[in-house]
Amino acid sequence: MHRGYDGIALVALFLALASPTSARAQEVPTRGGTLVVAISADPGHLNPAITTSGATHTAAELIYNGLLGRDERGDPVPDLAESWTVEQAGAVYRFRLRDGVTWHDGTRFTAADVKFTFEEVLLKFHARTKASMGSVLTGIDTPDDRTVVIRFKQPYAPLLQQLDATEAPIVARHVYQGSDPQTNPANASPIGTGPFKFVAYRKGAEIRLARNPGYFKRGLPYLDEIVMRIIPDSGTQVLALENGEVDFLWGVPGPQQSRLQADNRFRMAQTSYHPGGSNCIMTVSFNLDRPVLKDVRVRRAIALALDREAFLRQILFGEGKVATAPISSEITWAHARGLALPGFDRPEAERQLEVAGWKKERESTRVARGVAGVADGTRLAIDFLHFPTFAKYGELMRQHLSAVGIDVTQRPLEPAVFAPTVFKDRAFDTNVISYCNGPDPEIGVRRMYHSSQIGPAPFTNAAGYRNERVDVLFDQGARTVERDRRTPIYRQIQEIVVQELPYVWLVETPTTRAWSAQCGGFRAWTGLFAEAAFCKR
Amino acid sequence: MTPRYVLRRLVQVVPAVAGIVLIAFLAIHTAPGDPVLALAGEHGDAAYYAFIRAKFGLDRPLPEQLVVYVTRVARGDLGLSFVHGRPVAVVIAERVPTTLLLIVTALALSTTVGVALGVLAARRAGRPADLALRTGALLAHAMPSFWLAQMAAIAFALGTGWFPVQGLTDARRSLIGWRYALDVAHHLVLPALVLAAGELALTTRLTRTGVLEALATDYARTARAKGLPERAVVRHALRNALLPLVTVVGSRAGLVVTGAVLVETVFAWPGLGQLLLSSIQTRDVPVLLGLFLLASTTVIVANLVTDLAYAWLDPRIRYE
Repeated sequence: MHRGYDGIALVALFLALASPTSARAQEVPTRGGTLVVAISADPGHLNPAITTSGATHTAAELIYNGLLGRDERGDPVPDLAESWTVEQAGAVYRFRLRDGVTWHDGTRFTAADVKFTFEEVLLKFHARTKASMGSVLTGIDTPDDRTVVIRFKQPYAPLLQQLDATEAPIVARHVYQGSDPQTNPANASPIGTGPFKFVAYRKGAEIRLARNPGYFKRGLPYLDEIVMRIIPDSGTQVLALENGEVDFLWGVPGPQQSRLQADNRFRMAQTSYHPGGSNCIMTVSFNLDRPVLKDVRVRRAIALALDREAFLRQILFGEGKVATAPISSEITWAHARGLALPGFDRPEAERQLEVAGWKKERESTRVARGVAGVADGTRLAIDFLHFPTFAKYGELMRQHLSAVGIDVTQRPLEPAVFAPTVFKDRAFDTNVISYCNGPDPEIGVRRMYHSSQIGPAPFTNAAGYRNERVDVLFDQGARTVERDRRTPIYRQIQEIVVQELPYVWLVETPTTRAWSAQCGGFRAWTGLFAEAAFCKR
Repeated sequence: MTPRYVLRRLVQVVPAVAGIVLIAFLAIHTAPGDPVLALAGEHGDAAYYAFIRAKFGLDRPLPEQLVVYVTRVARGDLGLSFVHGRPVAVVIAERVPTTLLLIVTALALSTTVGVALGVLAARRAGRPADLALRTGALLAHAMPSFWLAQMAAIAFALGTGWFPVQGLTDARRSLIGWRYALDVAHHLVLPALVLAAGELALTTRLTRTGVLEALATDYARTARAKGLPERAVVRHALRNALLPLVTVVGSRAGLVVTGAVLVETVFAWPGLGQLLLSSIQTRDVPVLLGLFLLASTTVIVANLVTDLAYAWLDPRIRYE
C-alpha cells in the first residue's frame, strides 16, 4: 500500500487557525443535534456517481461511501473495502469488502454493487473517472460477494487515490439496474450506504438528511440530522452563520475572514480539498498557436512582469500561497522544490521583450520590429479571458503588463461560454483557469500538458502545449506505482515546462471552512466531512 | 367590453406566445455557451462530451432541434431539465408558489402603503411632510435592491436578531400547520419589505401626482363649492388617480415569473428568480425556454387584465 499525498502543511494550518480551546472542545463529541450546512447551489440531483459537479458532490457525498476514504494527509484508508492488495506491479488491485454493510433500504451491499457502479455508472457518466481509467481498465471481477478485483492493461498508479466518495461513490445495483442513471428518480431521493440517510429534498431550498442508525462504522455518526441549506450569496452565508441560522460554511470570502477569525463564536480551517476539485492553482494559459505568444521570451517577460505576491495579497487577502512549481505543494511527493520559476522583475521583463523584437516607440504599447510571423508595427496587444468571478485577476494582469508595454483587454465570460471559446474554438490569447490538480498528477495535471489533451474537452490543455518528452514522461508516471520512482519523473516534467512556460502558475488557492464553535469533529479533507461531526445545541 | 372582445384578446395570446418562444429558442441557441458542462461536469474527455451531446440531442442541426421542441411543446411537454433531470414543468411549478408569495406580498404592501402615503403627500403638498415623503421615496427608488437587502439583513437580523437572513423556513425546525405559516411569514418580512421599497417609492409618487392633478380639476372644485368635506373630495380624486397606477402594477406581473432575481438571491428565497439565474449560468436551455414561455404568457394575460380593470375603474372606457 502506498501513501497518498502528504498534507502536513494543511494540518499545521488547520491547527494554527483552530484555537486550543476549540481543539479541546472538538475532542468531546456529543450525540444528537442538527447541523445546518450552507451550500451555494441547488445540486439538481443527488447522484455523485453521474457527475463531477461540485454542487452535487458537496450536498450528496455524506449519503454514500467509496471503496476507500481519505485521511487528513490524503492517503487512502478503508471505507467499504476493509483491505486491499496491489498485484502484478500495479496492473491488478484486489479489494476485500466489509461484511454486514447494508443499503439505506435494508438490502445487503455486495461486490456486485461495486462492479455495477463502475461498469454501468462511473465509467459511463463520471467525467473524471471515465477520462482517467476508461481506456486502461480491462475488467472487474467479483470472485465472491466480498471480493472485487480491478484489472488494467498496464500498471495504473493513481487508482487508490480515485476510490473515495468524490471520485468513485458506490451506488446500489438494485436501484439503478435496467434504468438510465441520469434520469432515474432515485437521483432525487437517493439510497446509499453512507452515514446519513436521505429524508427530503425541497428544491431550491434545502436537503434534509438523518442519521443512518445501521451505519457500518461503529458509533458513527453522532449527529441526528443534517440540513443542507441552499444559500447562493456568499455574503448571506456569512451573515447566516453570524446570526446562528447555519453552523458550517464551505468557504468564506477573503474580506470577511478576519471578522470571523476575531470572533470566538466561530472556528476556521483551511483546506485544499474540495469535492469539485482539490489542490487548485490559478493559472494563466498562453495560446501557443498565436504568433505573438510563440516566442518563449515573450511568455517569460509576461511571467516576470506579474507580481504574484500582489495577486495573493489583493485578491485572496493572503488566503493561499504563491505557486512555486507547476504541481501543487499539497501533492508533496510530486511537487518539485527549488525550480527556477520567473520571479517578479520588471526591468528583466522589459529586456526580454526588447530582445524578442517588441520595441517601445512613441506609444506606451510596444510594437513589433522584426518579430517572426508578426507584421512590423503590430501593437503588443493581447486579450485575457476569465470567468466574471475572476475579474480581479484580469485587472491586475492588465495593470502589471501595461507597466512593461503590453496592452491587455479583459474578456469576462461565463463558464458555459468560456469553455467552448477556449477549448473548442481556441479564440483567445491568454486566460486564467483554476486548474485543480486533484490528489494525483495523473488526475488533474496530465490534462494540462499531454498533447493528447488538446481540445475540445473543457479544462484540458488550454495552452495547446506539445512536447514529446513530456508526453512520454506522463505515460511513464501513470504506469509507475512506486511513489519514490514517480517523484523524479514528475520533477523532470516540471523542469521542462518551467523552461518552456506554456503557463504561468500564479497562486495556490485553498478554501477556508468556518463553523460554529458549538460544533466540532469536522473532517475538512474529505467529502464525508461530517461523518464524525457533532453539535452541542 | 364584450365577451367577444375578451375571447378575441385571448386568441391573440397564441401567436404572440408562439413568436416569443421562437425568438427565445433562437436567441438561446445562437448565444455563446455550451450546456454540456452542466450536463457532464468538468474533466471529461472529448468522447464523453460527444456522447452526452448526442444523448440530449444537442448534436442535431438547430432547425431539427426546433421542430422537436415545438412538437413537444404543442403536446404540452416542455422537456427534461439538463441540471435537474426531471420534467421542466415540474421544476418550474415547484418554484411558483414561493415566488408568488413574495411578489404578491410585496406588491400588495407597496400598493396599499404607497397609495396611502401618496394621498398623504398630496394633501400636505408643499409642506414638510410632503417633502419628507418625496425625498424618502426618491431615496428608496434610487437604492439598489441588493444593497438595501444587505443593509436590511445587517440592521434587522444581525443587529437586532428580529428576523432571519435567509430561506423560507427555519432549518432547525420541521413545523406544520399554523406554526409553519408563521415561520414562513417571519422569513418573508425582510425580502418582501426590500422588494416593496422600490415599488413603494414609485406608487407613492404616482399617487401623489395623480391626486394633485385630480384635486385641481373642475369637478373637484365643484365638489368643494357644494360643501363636500375634503376627505370625500380626495376619495373621488383618488379613483381617477388610480388609472396610471393600475398600468404600473399590471406591468409588474412579469416579476411573478422572473422573480425578484436579486432579492431572491440575497435572501436565499427558493423561487423562480433563483431558478432563472442558475439556469442561465448552467445553460439549462429547456428550463430557460419554459420560463420564457411562462413569462410571456403571464405578461400578455396581465396586460389583458389591466385593460379590463381600466374599464371597471373608468366606465367611460369601452372596448369593442
